[in-house]
Amino acid sequence: MLDNYLPILIFILVGILVGVGPLALGYLLGPRRPDAEKDSPYECGFEAFETARLKFDVRFYLVAILFIVFDLEIAFLFPWAIVLDELGIFAFWAMVVFLGILVVGFIYEWKKGALEWE
Amino acid sequence: MGFEKFLFYVFALITLWAAGMVITRRNPVHAVLFLVLAFVSSAALWVLIEAEFLGIVLVLVYVGAVMVLFLFVVMMLDVDLAALRAGFIRALPLGLLVAGVMAVEIFLIVGPANFGLEAFPPPDAAPADATNTRDLGILLYSIYIYPVEIAAVILLVAIVAAIRLTLRRRPDNKSVDPARQVRVKKGPDRIRLVKMAPEVEEPFGASPTTESGETS
Repeated sequence: MLDNYLPILIFILVGILVGVGPLALGYLLGPRRPDAEKDSPYECGFEAFETARLKFDVRFYLVAILFIVFDLEIAFLFPWAIVLDELGIFAFWAMVVFLGILVVGFIYEWKKGALEWE
Repeated sequence: MGFEKFLFYVFALITLWAAGMVITRRNPVHAVLFLVLAFVSSAALWVLIEAEFLGIVLVLVYVGAVMVLFLFVVMMLDVDLAALRAGFIRALPLGLLVAGVMAVEIFLIVGPANFGLEAFPPPDAAPADATNTRDLGILLYSIYIYPVEIAAVILLVAIVAAIRLTLRRRPDNKSVDPARQVRVKKGPDRIRLVKMAPEVEEPFGASPTTESGETS
């Protein structure tokens, strides 16, 4: 079975080579004469006045965690879809219950307005 | 077998190196990116033990979603590095104690005595058309159906907890609901234009004749 993954390994290696190769060539071949002015951060001509580490609004976190929950739900659906023919009606109703529990959460977040961005 | 073993050592080394960089980098964003590398190489390790579905799910869920969440958290926390490092020496003995206890526990459970090749001989290599996803599905949706439903309940708890903890209304928001905009009727809701006679204001200043010519 692992033989099937040999093309993927070669693909990863080629991908790394394509990504790292130009950077390494530029690093090795290009002229580099850094000075203090070149190394300083540049912000449209004026002095950089604060760090780039801003505080994010917490609502980004909410969107991300809701995405993770439904992402996991989809991950449970893949093996179910493959074995549905073999396991029959029991697996079907099991997934209906599974999805039903999550739909409760979906309705909750919809009614709470967590899906609206304003 | 030789090439697989070589790949295992390569990916295991990458995982260990990335995990070491996670806890030694000073920039937390770099640490998160090294954690992504550790997850990706762990996924490669899982594929090497023929758990292909789990490997792909690891990339999909952890690299794709959880690490984005970690990046948000790292950026939201507004980490003060100097304050973080200030208590390092004071917390070091406790950290070493916890790490030592964990290492001993891990060794007791997955040590060579009861987790080696002698206790569990390696299974035969799966044929080329074996689908790991199907085997997993048959087990999940027949024997382990109860834990699957519990997983759904845990996800539901995660949804409710995230919404209760982080959902905030912003009182200073001036955005307009498009649905209400569409429902505006022609009569009372819109601006009404009124015709009226023009009003002429008196020019400012008492004597316009002396100063008006000098403004060019």
